[in-house]
Amino acid sequence: MGANLVNLNVNPCKMCMPMGAVSALCGIKGCMSILHGSQGCATYIRRHMATHYNEPVDIASSSLTEEGTVFGGEANLLKGLRNLIDLYAPEAIGVCTTCLAETIGEDVGAIVKKFYEQNPGTGVKIIHVAAPGYGGTQNEGWFAAIRAVLEQTEQSTAPNGKINVITPMISPADTRWLKDLLNGAGMDFILLPDLSDNLDGVTEKRYNRLKTGGTSLSDIAKMAGARLTVEFSEFTDEKASPAAYLYETYRVPYVKLPLPVGVRGMDQLLTTLEDAGGAVTVDMIKARGRYLDAMVDSHKYCAKARAAVFGEPDFVTAVIRLCCENGILPLLAATGSVSPRLKELLDAEFEDYKDFYPAEEMAILDDSDFDEIERYCRQLGVNLLIGSSDGRRIAHKLDIPLIRCAFPIHDYVGGQRVRMLGFEGSLNLLDQSANCMLEKTETGFRGALYDRFFKTRPAPPADIHAKTASHPCFGEHACKNARVHLPVAPKCNIQCNYCLRNFDCMNESRPGVASKILTPAEALERYMKLKESMPNLTVVGIAGPGDALANFEETRETLRLIREYDADITFCIATNGLMLPMYVPELKKLGVSHVTVTVNAVDPSVGAKIYQHINYMGKTYTGTEGASILLANQLAGIKMLADADIMCKVNCVALKGINDSHIFEVTKQAAALGAFMTNIMPHIPVRGSSFEALDRMTNMEIKAIREVCGVNIKQMAHCRQCRSDAAGTLDEDISIHLREKPASETRPYKRFAVATKSGAIVDIHFGHAKEFYIFESDGEDTRFVETRKVSRYCNGLECDDKEDRWESVIGAVADCEAVLALRIGLVPEKRLKENGIDAIATYERVETAVTLAARERSAMNGIA
Amino acid sequence: MHMSVLEERKASISDMNEHGRGICCERESVSGAVSQRACVYCGARVVLNPITDAYHIVHGPIGCASYTWDIRGSLTSGASTYRNSFSTDLRETDIVFGGEKKLSAAIDELMEKAEPAPKLIFVYATCIAGVIGDDIEAVCRAAAKKYGIRVIPVKAPGFSGTKPQGYKLACDAIMALILPGINQSKRFGVNILGDYNLAGETWIIRSYLEEIGIPVISTITGDASYEKLMRAPTAVLNLVQCAGSSTYLAERMYSEMDIPYIKVSFFGIEDTTASLFRVADALGKPEISAKARELAKRRTSEVVPVIEKYKPSLEGKRAAIFVGGGFKAISLIRQFNELGMKTVVAGTQTGKKDEYEIISALADGEAVILDDANPAELERFMLEKQADILVGGVKERPLAYKLGIAFCDHNHERKHPLAGFEGIENFVREVHTTINSPVWKYVKEGPAWAQI
Repeated sequence: MGANLVNLNVNPCKMCMPMGAVSALCGIKGCMSILHGSQGCATYIRRHMATHYNEPVDIASSSLTEEGTVFGGEANLLKGLRNLIDLYAPEAIGVCTTCLAETIGEDVGAIVKKFYEQNPGTGVKIIHVAAPGYGGTQNEGWFAAIRAVLEQTEQSTAPNGKINVITPMISPADTRWLKDLLNGAGMDFILLPDLSDNLDGVTEKRYNRLKTGGTSLSDIAKMAGARLTVEFSEFTDEKASPAAYLYETYRVPYVKLPLPVGVRGMDQLLTTLEDAGGAVTVDMIKARGRYLDAMVDSHKYCAKARAAVFGEPDFVTAVIRLCCENGILPLLAATGSVSPRLKELLDAEFEDYKDFYPAEEMAILDDSDFDEIERYCRQLGVNLLIGSSDGRRIAHKLDIPLIRCAFPIHDYVGGQRVRMLGFEGSLNLLDQSANCMLEKTETGFRGALYDRFFKTRPAPPADIHAKTASHPCFGEHACKNARVHLPVAPKCNIQCNYCLRNFDCMNESRPGVASKILTPAEALERYMKLKESMPNLTVVGIAGPGDALANFEETRETLRLIREYDADITFCIATNGLMLPMYVPELKKLGVSHVTVTVNAVDPSVGAKIYQHINYMGKTYTGTEGASILLANQLAGIKMLADADIMCKVNCVALKGINDSHIFEVTKQAAALGAFMTNIMPHIPVRGSSFEALDRMTNMEIKAIREVCGVNIKQMAHCRQCRSDAAGTLDEDISIHLREKPASETRPYKRFAVATKSGAIVDIHFGHAKEFYIFESDGEDTRFVETRKVSRYCNGLECDDKEDRWESVIGAVADCEAVLALRIGLVPEKRLKENGIDAIATYERVETAVTLAARERSAMNGIA
Repeated sequence: MHMSVLEERKASISDMNEHGRGICCERESVSGAVSQRACVYCGARVVLNPITDAYHIVHGPIGCASYTWDIRGSLTSGASTYRNSFSTDLRETDIVFGGEKKLSAAIDELMEKAEPAPKLIFVYATCIAGVIGDDIEAVCRAAAKKYGIRVIPVKAPGFSGTKPQGYKLACDAIMALILPGINQSKRFGVNILGDYNLAGETWIIRSYLEEIGIPVISTITGDASYEKLMRAPTAVLNLVQCAGSSTYLAERMYSEMDIPYIKVSFFGIEDTTASLFRVADALGKPEISAKARELAKRRTSEVVPVIEKYKPSLEGKRAAIFVGGGFKAISLIRQFNELGMKTVVAGTQTGKKDEYEIISALADGEAVILDDANPAELERFMLEKQADILVGGVKERPLAYKLGIAFCDHNHERKHPLAGFEGIENFVREVHTTINSPVWKYVKEGPAWAQI
């Protein structure tokens, strides 16, 4: 996309208020939530949270229907509250509204009041949170829930010397760290909310569906008596801030801190704690020292990073500051929330660091979406993404690493264990950032420098010798390796006197024969299938059944498709060489490493006896003229192959009395032009071809010629003269299994009608069937005939009449032996019987049921 | 102390009501019971989602779009437009003044700027669009006229019923799309309905059909595209894979386009084999029927050894099933039976009465059968019946794990095919991998001091 639309959100970088509200309520002890709205909201939110936290997340719904929407959902909500209490026995219930409840104007406060009146003595604290999905993001929902909890709790104002700590959405593991830190500093604190146990539980002997962790209601009731509130948010305004509420209502002083990330974030927190009477311990100071030490260790790697950070405003601000402290260039800060303040804060931050990043611009976006973020990432040359797993699509598309450290994380495990707070958490982020850069350098720098400074011409593939060694034809010791010939090239451009190409001979095994021509796509499919079952498959060859280069379009497409799927497989083609000079450069580009050229003569007068005609550039040539053109192209082509570092094998068909005394010359020429080996093979007489009467040379004769020619060039002695759709090792051709078999003969069959809804099982009552599946079976083979609609067998104009209906049902199954249904009533059974049709009740699989029924009937009739 | 089954829910659980195994189903969810069901919008969205080159605009506040963005494993061979989320992201002012203008403007913007240029747009009305009374049909009509493309409204407010109603809306939307193509001439070939190409399953089915000589004309909606959908009316036969979501569409195509349909299932060896035969036979060409039998024989002989390899370690294990539709549950019970396992808990979100009857018959004698179960019930019955494995959706996975029970992902987010012969191997391997994993030993044993 990248279209930057104004009226359309493309790939949201935010969720809705109810999500934030129920998340916060998960951090209150003994608290369950119910969403007042339609069923989908609860289900989707549960799925979103369960996948991130890998914890059961039970959220109820008042399951509003059409009626509830029109007449109000009071009855649903009252019932839902009672049911939730029955099922979970919670101490508190958060009732969060949704888009729907807010829009139809539900007065949840009044409904809750009514619930208390109707159900005195439940002892359950009910908190209602206004959370319209259109009212903000999960961030607003989170703080709205915390504030509602405070506003609706009866507070004790007696001073208790505690400090209140309020966080935005942070991970359970970070929450545990924060509690440890506060305990370590000797603080007496109330943390609201506390997700640490409820969304990152342990394995227990007995599962508690009501989670046992979280901030207790009794602690919450003491927050008005605290001496200080620390709120980790720079973005909550007075109307939304829980700390501001405690100050306005109970005069509890407060400080607002950024998330404790990076040196400054942590120093601010520790200073605040020290000011509030806490202890900064030796361990904390050491942790700080280790973090600084690591910053120094990593700073040069971090300097390569160009980061984009996206998520909720407090998260983005904290991570951007960490980037700035470490010399990671922060190019993009984006949030899906509406938050003009993000730009204020980050402009100021960037101003402080602009000396280090001369001439760089930073983009700060609020109310953004991933379409916009992607566009900026491209424009700004971002090479590191930090945020939730929703950024993974950009990461994949632009090949940029993504550090997943914010909600939601759906494609990795460990969302509940993200650590980014404190010196240790910051160090975790820092290490990941530095390692992303190190990884990028390590995997790319050799190639990049080589390409830039060394490469002057395309290097020959380094693995040509390995490929030759593993080629069952070129390599002598590769008989365990398999090859497949893909029959994609039907046309031929020359006619040899020994050849008659014929596609449909199953039992023939010789070059130029294939049972079926494949399209390139089918060829790829065959290859993929074979590769699965044949891990030793090392070579893909195209050997006709015509000539690979006379069908170059198909050959090229086939090789291209297979190369896309498999980068390593060796490509081999076989040709008569007529078109070779034209295509060698392309063959090289396609990655063909082995080519076989069939050269039966290097003297046109000998060639004229072998080749009836050739078709070259649209013209037909015969006799020595044709043989000369072919020969010239073959020789030029072989030389070009050698120059292009493509292994060339020259095949030569030994024809008794025609070229057998000339073969020595052929091999000598092949060697001189740079061929790798020659393969001298006996001609196979084919009926109908010009040479059908020519005697086949004996193995002894062939062996003798090979021995003589061995002085010129390496000889192939293990040729099996395979078909052009051969597959497998040379000794075990399995291509016959890939081909089709003819249909079996027909036997006497009986018809059956099946009542089925799913189509797979006999799963419907006879009387309910609107259609029947009709089968024929002889008790072994079962064949589907058709489906029949009962309605189409209706004679009268109306089919409502019961009697008419029976008539049509019976009409639909009239030619059947029996009807199979899940159940059948006595009356219809009788009616069927009257028409000579049996009724069978079963819940078997359809085909199985029919086969069994046919078998039983055959047995009954004494036929079997 | 809390209870595990609400009074009102007992009618939907076998042996807790007066009818024994004849449980109540096809009812609205009980408020506050923590149903696992989704909504009408969800049903419509998931059926249409795999149309790869369509622009799916969710008209409403952001949540519905956010939670359904690219969460399903439907694969594409062409465009990836469907993997994006488009929403009008309605805000407070839109709720007050109406969202029609914003929707119109959003379509204008798409037409002006979006790449590739939209040929087909679906507009989903969610709860709020329904309540504030936006006339999305009028907006869609106007946009279609203005740009000469197809803009199809899907009025799917979540509260207006249950998920299956959403399927029906999606089927109507598809019919609205393809009806203008009704006068094309017929070709020899079939459409596949109700397969969503999760982890390439449509491709697997298609490969079988093509191998035996049956061309596939259109797939609805796995790996579908506008052009391919418009060719659907030319087919001679429809195959219905997910009967729950697509029978209604098949029925309409039958009565309005005269394309007969047959139902098929590609889960498990028997279903896959029977379906291949049935499709081949239906087309009435003996050579195709023969090829189907040859293919099934060959592929079965490849799969059986895999099953045999794992069977000894699975025999006698006890399964719990909680899936969306009744047919999937039935198919799973059978697959477990074939592995020598027992099904001791069986439930669905939206099963039908007849389906439950078969479930009762197939599952173990002591099995508990339940409709629209909630986590509390699943917890109680899985423990009571000592289940070794749960098959279900992603929401249920953490619960199973917390209870020390293995889990098989048979949902729409999975990334491994479970259909066809390839799927059988995956299924058996997954069941083995999770039931027999070494981790359970450490979870269940340990020194006395370590027990919580």
